[in-house]
Amino acid sequence: MNWRNIRLIFMREVRDLLRDRRTLFMVFMMPLLLYPALGIGMAQMMLSYREKVRTVVVLGSEYLPPPPLLAEGAFAGRWFVTAKEVSQLEVVTPETVQQLEEQLREAADDARPQSQQDELTRQRELIDNARQLQVLHQKLQNLEQQYLEAASSGRDSDEANNSIDDAEAASPADTDRKEALAELETEIKQTREKLSDLFAASNVQVLILVPEGFAESIERTTEQIAERNVTEEGNEVSVPSLTVLHNNADQKSQIAYSRVKNVLALWEADILKQRLTAARLPESITTPVNPQSVDLASEQELSANVWGTIIPALLIIMAITGAFYPAVDLAAGEKERGTMETLLICPASRTEIVWGKFFTVLTFSCATAILNLVSLGFTTKYMVSLGGSTGGSIGRLGVITPPTFEAICWILILLIPIAALFSALSFALATFARSSKEGQYYLTPMLAVSTGLTVFCVSPAVEITPFYSIMPVIGVGLLLKGLLSSPDHSTMLIYVIPVLVTSTGYSILALWWAIDQFGREDVLFREAERFNLGLWIRQLLREKQATPTFAEAGLCFLLIMFLQFATMKFMQSLLGPMDLIADPTLMLKVLLTQQVALIAAPALIMGIMLARSFQETFKLYLPQVPYLLIGLTLPFFLHPIAIELSQSLDWFFPPLPEAVQETLAAMQNDSISPWLLLLTFAVAPAICEELAFRGFILSGLAHHGRLGIAIVFSSLAFGLMHMIPQQVFNASLMGLVLGLLCLRSNSLLPCMLLHFINNGIEVLRGRFYQDIQGAIPRENGFVTFTETEYHYHLPALMICVIVAAAMIYWLYKHPASPPRSRSEQLHA
Amino acid sequence: MIRVQDLSKSFADLKRGQVKALDSVSFEVKPGEIFGLLGPNGAGKTTCLRILSTVLRPTGGLAEVAGYNVMDNPAQVRANIGFMSGNTGIYDRMTGREMVEYFGRLYGIPENELQPRIDDIIEMLQMHDVAEMLGSKMSTGMKQKVSIARTIVHDPPVLIFDEPTSGLDVLVARAVLKTIESLKDQGKSIIFSTHIMREVEKLCDRIAVIYKGEILASGTVNELEEKYNEPDMEELFFELIRLREEEIDSPNNTGQNG
Repeated sequence: MNWRNIRLIFMREVRDLLRDRRTLFMVFMMPLLLYPALGIGMAQMMLSYREKVRTVVVLGSEYLPPPPLLAEGAFAGRWFVTAKEVSQLEVVTPETVQQLEEQLREAADDARPQSQQDELTRQRELIDNARQLQVLHQKLQNLEQQYLEAASSGRDSDEANNSIDDAEAASPADTDRKEALAELETEIKQTREKLSDLFAASNVQVLILVPEGFAESIERTTEQIAERNVTEEGNEVSVPSLTVLHNNADQKSQIAYSRVKNVLALWEADILKQRLTAARLPESITTPVNPQSVDLASEQELSANVWGTIIPALLIIMAITGAFYPAVDLAAGEKERGTMETLLICPASRTEIVWGKFFTVLTFSCATAILNLVSLGFTTKYMVSLGGSTGGSIGRLGVITPPTFEAICWILILLIPIAALFSALSFALATFARSSKEGQYYLTPMLAVSTGLTVFCVSPAVEITPFYSIMPVIGVGLLLKGLLSSPDHSTMLIYVIPVLVTSTGYSILALWWAIDQFGREDVLFREAERFNLGLWIRQLLREKQATPTFAEAGLCFLLIMFLQFATMKFMQSLLGPMDLIADPTLMLKVLLTQQVALIAAPALIMGIMLARSFQETFKLYLPQVPYLLIGLTLPFFLHPIAIELSQSLDWFFPPLPEAVQETLAAMQNDSISPWLLLLTFAVAPAICEELAFRGFILSGLAHHGRLGIAIVFSSLAFGLMHMIPQQVFNASLMGLVLGLLCLRSNSLLPCMLLHFINNGIEVLRGRFYQDIQGAIPRENGFVTFTETEYHYHLPALMICVIVAAAMIYWLYKHPASPPRSRSEQLHA
Repeated sequence: MIRVQDLSKSFADLKRGQVKALDSVSFEVKPGEIFGLLGPNGAGKTTCLRILSTVLRPTGGLAEVAGYNVMDNPAQVRANIGFMSGNTGIYDRMTGREMVEYFGRLYGIPENELQPRIDDIIEMLQMHDVAEMLGSKMSTGMKQKVSIARTIVHDPPVLIFDEPTSGLDVLVARAVLKTIESLKDQGKSIIFSTHIMREVEKLCDRIAVIYKGEILASGTVNELEEKYNEPDMEELFFELIRLREEEIDSPNNTGQNG
């Protein structure tokens, strides 16, 4: 690779993009304009928000006990934390209406200001509405009271009836009473709805109803307490209470109510204080425990928490956006403008071209992300200082300090692998596209998927685990979140290496794919064809080839995954209500059906429809004896290794979901026939999964003759189908061995054998663990075990590894003779 | 300088299955010679020239440029070739001079030689007006001039022009042909593909008529005219194609081509 060429291409592409108005806008202007614009918008919204005044109507304010709750058409200032809040709630009472009327009467007829006249009408309406509400509310309360009485009297008579004669049918009186109850119920419902409708139309946000004689009642109780005249039961006086009507589904009412609630709470506390003083009791009596909460979070940490949520999300989204447009321009755009061939005939190799272009995309991706962060940072800082000085809502966020120098370093370090991954992916996809427009279609799903992953990363409870640390995008996102927001970085540092290594690995894979795409004639010189679905399918069926194509194999995998996903709900409903103890075989039957209908059937149907040679597609040939022997013996050597591996990696994976644990428990259920277990967990998977994954999918993936890639992809597909991380890992490894065995023996039979034996050992081991453990002497050189865990000793394990490796190496070196000649021999 | 032997290329087509774009094509081009590749659209001219420029890989046969095999030494082949076709556009957001400079640097020309070389080419092609103009602002003729400048900036021994005059007005086309002629006088091996008979008669030392991936006839213009007893090049061309079509349609020959 010639770095001079890469640099030349890089410099040219950067200059080219910098001369493009669209890119400049996306990369530089957007972040610089977007956040300040958002900031201005937010500030304006907050200003207009503050001006809104909510209306509270108080009926019966004359019955309010001291200290005065209201003052001059509003709540008294002392019931608010800040004086400014007083003006946010307007209080209308019959008295305020009277005052207004008097003012108007005093003023000369011609001097009556129209606005005051309007105000009077408005307030009168409010009071009228409030009165109606009060009446309706009273009615509702009466109805509810009636209902309660009727219901409780009924219950008494029921009990009486039961004690006399259980078998006696319901008396006619009983039915009547039930009808009356039902009638009452509907009436209550109707009244409640009417009340709610009326409230919504009333323009009143909160209505406070003060019952008659409320002040006296409060005072009386205060006196009684002061005289120690109250006992638990003895207080016969029913204490009337304030009623506050509001509607929590309406935002205006909700906000007003939350304010009114605070006011009332403070007011009530004051009444309580008076009561205590009158009773000569200490004020502290109401707070016997009085826990003191001490928040140790420093300003630095509070802001770190804010940054930890915002920065990873922004970084990921902006890294994609920044990679997206340059990638389309550099790959699909170059095709579109007809300069691709000019570049291809220059002495730079295609790998050099890809590297040069990749570095360009990476640069723009990083630049976009950084510019966005900087712009956001400065806008936020400015907004906060603005909010802080005027005491607005942002001011409550506290002082947001900028991220520390260390945090900024981490951001920059982790930005590179994530930007590299997106750059390489976008570039590969954009290379495949014929035009810029097509490129954008391909890249949109990537944006959607990454956005989903980002949302997952910033969800509050999600933290980095060893498993997450090796996932693409998620690893980086969670690590960055942890580094920025957790007070103790040292716990995060152990994840830095795995995250960096795996994300670099993913980037290299993506880049390798991009280089591969760039080297393919059919990708570079794809001609525009009119796509006709009907014609395409007819072509597919008419001109089918002996084995399925790469794309058809991919489709088969997606179909299987889709079927699994689509039937998930159905399976759950089937398994949900079932009692495992009553019929433990039901789950096995479901699993069996799943294997046949959702895995084997799609592959077989696709095989019949899309491939000319059913035999070649599903490798239905008699294998040569050595391969059969390997299929027969290899699982016995692989099994200890697999057990040891999965046990030693147990810490790495998230715990198993409950449903899976249940299934695993079923394998140890003594009441189920071992034959049924073998059928479900060994025979069916061996046949069905092999037909699908080593049959159709592997044949299709190997169609172009790239066997290594075919094996890796088919085993990944095989792993992914197992859904649960542990099994994905185990099955992927097993898939590598099975894939190699299948391609080398050119027969599905050894694979089925290996698969069956491998699963069979596991089934029998679970089912007969007591017998097995009883049969093995405790002291032996090979294995020690507990009820659930087996630990093979190093010598035994070494033997297994050596034998397994030898067999796999032999497979690697010995492809079977081509099938055609052998089948001819068989016929002869 | 250019040696092509039994060159074949087939590719998969969604509608037609495996299509043979080139079928056992052989020819040779010596220094100081212009070789004309003559054929209708879709005959396989562009595929053949793309293989020579290493953009496509042959599925069979051999192709050598300046002694380097296109399969084994693609980088060397590209360094020794100047290639221009309807598909080698110029960058919109670069001036004519920057464009030529960029490719000059990619060809590894030292900076102190590059600038005088570019000045010479600008002088030679009379392209002072486009040197500082962005590609997006240029007319077709201006773009073609920049393309030629790009093709010859590294002074390659082999030059390939794939329909260089298509879409040009008579004046510019004439200038382009003059340039190619002067390059021949400098001793370059030149392949010139076209479907315009007049250009072939005027410019080419030897020609090959290519149709449906096969060479139907080759030789000097005079040789061909004598061989087929047809003084008019255009008539000769149609006659060759007609004969070939008859051959394909006749039932006893179908097996040969299928």
